[in-house]
Amino acid sequence: MNDATQIVRERATALLADGTVAAVVGWAAGRGDHDRHVFVARTPEEAALLVADQYCGALAAKRVLSLLDEGKIALVARGCESRAVNRFMADRQLKRDQVHVIGWPCPGMLDPATGDALKRCTECQRRNPVLSDEVVGDPVPEPELDRFAELERFEQKTPEERRAFFQDMYESCIRCYACRNACPCCTCRVCFVDQERVGWMGEEFTADQARYYGTVRAFHTGDRCIECGECQRVCPQHLPLMLLMHKQVRDIDGLFGPYPGGGMEPEGPDPLRTYHTDDLEEFM
Amino acid sequence: MIISKDNMGALADAIGATQTVYVPGTERAATRFVAHKKGEPVVLGGANVRMPPKDLLFPATEKMYRWKKHEGQLSLETEAAAHEPFTVLGVRPCDMASVAKLDLVFLTKGFVDEFYQARRDAATFVAVTCVDPDGDCFCEAMGVRLDAAPAADVLLVDRGGAYEAKPQTEKGEAAVAAWAEALGAGADAAAGDAVEAHCTLNPAAAKAEERLRAEDFDNVWHSVADYCLTCGTCTFECPTCYCFDISQDVRADEGARFRCWDSCMFTQYTLMAGNHNPRADRASRVRQRFMHKLRYFADRYGEGLCVGCGRCIRDCPAGVDIAAIIDAVATAPEHELTEAARTVQADEAKKEAAHV
Repeated sequence: MNDATQIVRERATALLADGTVAAVVGWAAGRGDHDRHVFVARTPEEAALLVADQYCGALAAKRVLSLLDEGKIALVARGCESRAVNRFMADRQLKRDQVHVIGWPCPGMLDPATGDALKRCTECQRRNPVLSDEVVGDPVPEPELDRFAELERFEQKTPEERRAFFQDMYESCIRCYACRNACPCCTCRVCFVDQERVGWMGEEFTADQARYYGTVRAFHTGDRCIECGECQRVCPQHLPLMLLMHKQVRDIDGLFGPYPGGGMEPEGPDPLRTYHTDDLEEFM
Repeated sequence: MIISKDNMGALADAIGATQTVYVPGTERAATRFVAHKKGEPVVLGGANVRMPPKDLLFPATEKMYRWKKHEGQLSLETEAAAHEPFTVLGVRPCDMASVAKLDLVFLTKGFVDEFYQARRDAATFVAVTCVDPDGDCFCEAMGVRLDAAPAADVLLVDRGGAYEAKPQTEKGEAAVAAWAEALGAGADAAAGDAVEAHCTLNPAAAKAEERLRAEDFDNVWHSVADYCLTCGTCTFECPTCYCFDISQDVRADEGARFRCWDSCMFTQYTLMAGNHNPRADRASRVRQRFMHKLRYFADRYGEGLCVGCGRCIRDCPAGVDIAAIIDAVATAPEHELTEAARTVQADEAKKEAAHV
């Protein structure tokens, strides 16, 4: 058992035993050696099943939102989960006193099938939690990675190549909505695609409908995205969903920045919804 | 007839001369059955395709009929029609078993779905014995044999470097006879012994089915709901999930009705007029999916709805594992009997008392 797992179990047990929290959100092991899934521990016995190692690929943060009726919730939070907590607070989905953040400086996660680093971890800016009530272990060095590398390669393409790229991408989408269900920014009570009476969205499985869903979702989350890359990790078709997100984040930084990305601080920065008299007005 | 594995491309070319032949390949970001192009190599071994063959019989979106209003007259035009013949080459026993289950749904119990039937009648299925089960495959636990595919028209038995083609239906006899003619000497390769393989994963499915009839497993459904995303990946990749929704595309004086795949994992699936939703919470949707796979279908058709292909385990983004769930149910400490099970037991006791 690694140190992080042991400390997380001890802290979760203590927090549950003394009634500080009603549940602890983390990960547990599945059937295979490296299978991990999000896990909610509600008793000290269940806390002994928590695992915190390099195979905990899933973003656990969003599960907190569905548990708030049970009381205060503890969340084992890496950089990405902690940024999600900031996101939830800025989006008025969560109050700071509803969550106890057990910060976990992240070692970077591995794909259980291949042993390679998860793509979402190779584009991570912040492995250490940006907020926490306590921290498990020592801080880790922050990665120095170019998270826009994929975007820059894409932008070398001609307009025709880009059109073909997106056509292929949206023809491949099976519209399972895993990206939406996993996204910490997707907290609408009723998603626009589910508003059947309004009929925003056709039910046919066509590239046009998938493009409509994909682009509207991308724009609706663009200025709030915490760049956790969970949408791309959960996509069963392995579609490059982070391209559109990185494009928007980089544009916001260039036009209205400096903008480090979503969820870095409890309230903003929120450049697209903040007016400055010296904002760019090239279109006026 | 024995066909060398190197000759699978030639076989597909030969079938492809008169009809579309679907073979395992890659298209739209996933491995699936794709229309064979003449001259391209065909390989039937290795990992199974990610998308099952069900869309060849039951497309994700299918037009049902069109309507048109012209000078006060309403006209209807059905889209159901006889389908051009096609062959699916290289279907695994698990996926072939799934076709037999779809047949039960769409063709039996007093209603024949004409759209499904048109495609089904046009299809020739050539199955291949499975020698490559992976760690998430558990078809044997679900009553499927790796070396048999009774619903297929032709079974290709893996004999090392070659396949022995065994016709199993009239359609299969005709197909194999045509192949022999087309391939000539290529249909007479040397054969080794049939390759034998077994699954390493064997969840206790029979025990689980029996217990799901008598006990509540709310704790299991709730613990799965704690991490299930309730996305549609498992249902869309499942070879036997057959739920669909009927929608329409209405223009001023014409329109079309179509049906498309639906998923019991979605909140909208059970949404009713007046906004009531009997399965609004995740746990009840999780319960429905596994109860349908493991018990309800068996209640109606005498066999379960899971063929153990392992797709939902392999591709679940949240780590939901039906094999682990089957074992969790089978090995759980004894539960309280459900209300329904208590009623059945009481009725049986009464009947027994009456006989005495």
